[in-house]
Amino acid sequence: MNDSAAGAPGREARQERGPVQRKGFGLAPTGWVDPRGRTLGAWAFAGNRITGLGLVFYLYLHLGVLTTLLWGAHAWGRFLGVATTFVFLGLDVVLLFGLLYHGLNGVRVLLVGTGLVPHRERALWWAGAVIGTIVLLGGALHILGSRS
Amino acid sequence: MTPVGTETSERKPLATQTRVWRWTAFTGVALLVLVTIHMIAHHFVVESIGGLRTYRQILDYIANPVMFTIECTFLVVVTIHGMLGLRSVLFDLNFGARARARINRGLVALGALTVAYGLALIGTLASRA
Repeated sequence: MNDSAAGAPGREARQERGPVQRKGFGLAPTGWVDPRGRTLGAWAFAGNRITGLGLVFYLYLHLGVLTTLLWGAHAWGRFLGVATTFVFLGLDVVLLFGLLYHGLNGVRVLLVGTGLVPHRERALWWAGAVIGTIVLLGGALHILGSRS
Repeated sequence: MTPVGTETSERKPLATQTRVWRWTAFTGVALLVLVTIHMIAHHFVVESIGGLRTYRQILDYIANPVMFTIECTFLVVVTIHGMLGLRSVLFDLNFGARARARINRGLVALGALTVAYGLALIGTLASRA
């Protein structure tokens, strides 16, 4: 490291364990998808973004699928034939996971960000993980179990 | 509600950032209720595979004034929340001021189109009941 970099602002922060820093200063624009040297908070943030992008994609997929309703009962009936297969219902469980993760992590961010429950990020994340896992298992059993 | 750690002396960016954060939080809280209603109504009360409704059941469901209002509200709120989320991801790519302005306009247009199409879809289905 040369002399100018040694005295650069933010140098100490960049040497701590945490989200990967770029050669300049601060997080790289796409740094949130980099898995190296992550803290739990950084993982939670990346998870929130990935599930968020997935849910936006699903919003348009959902609107597209619902368009088949405009073509009448026969078209919807044919779609239901596909939508009630094990694979498709399994994707519903993946959707439920995305909703639970994004929702529960959102509650955590809200509680910490508003200062209602400051400095309890990890405890809140694990509480959300327990609640989310229980609801996901119950939901998965209901969705997949409805086939029998 | 101001997010912790966003204090800065730059007045305009703080105002915009705080406003976006508040809208994201507000729509997020509303979605917790609306998504729960939507999921339960569509997957956990109907006695069929996956809780999926038949064509007739969907028309009857959406023609109910209460459910019609809830679904329309859900569409608007989820679109605002989604567009704000996309904005955050795109703004993290460090575009310049002009590109950011274009992103803002593009997302407003995309959101408006999404809501318009969704409302037309819901309205058409409700009218068929």
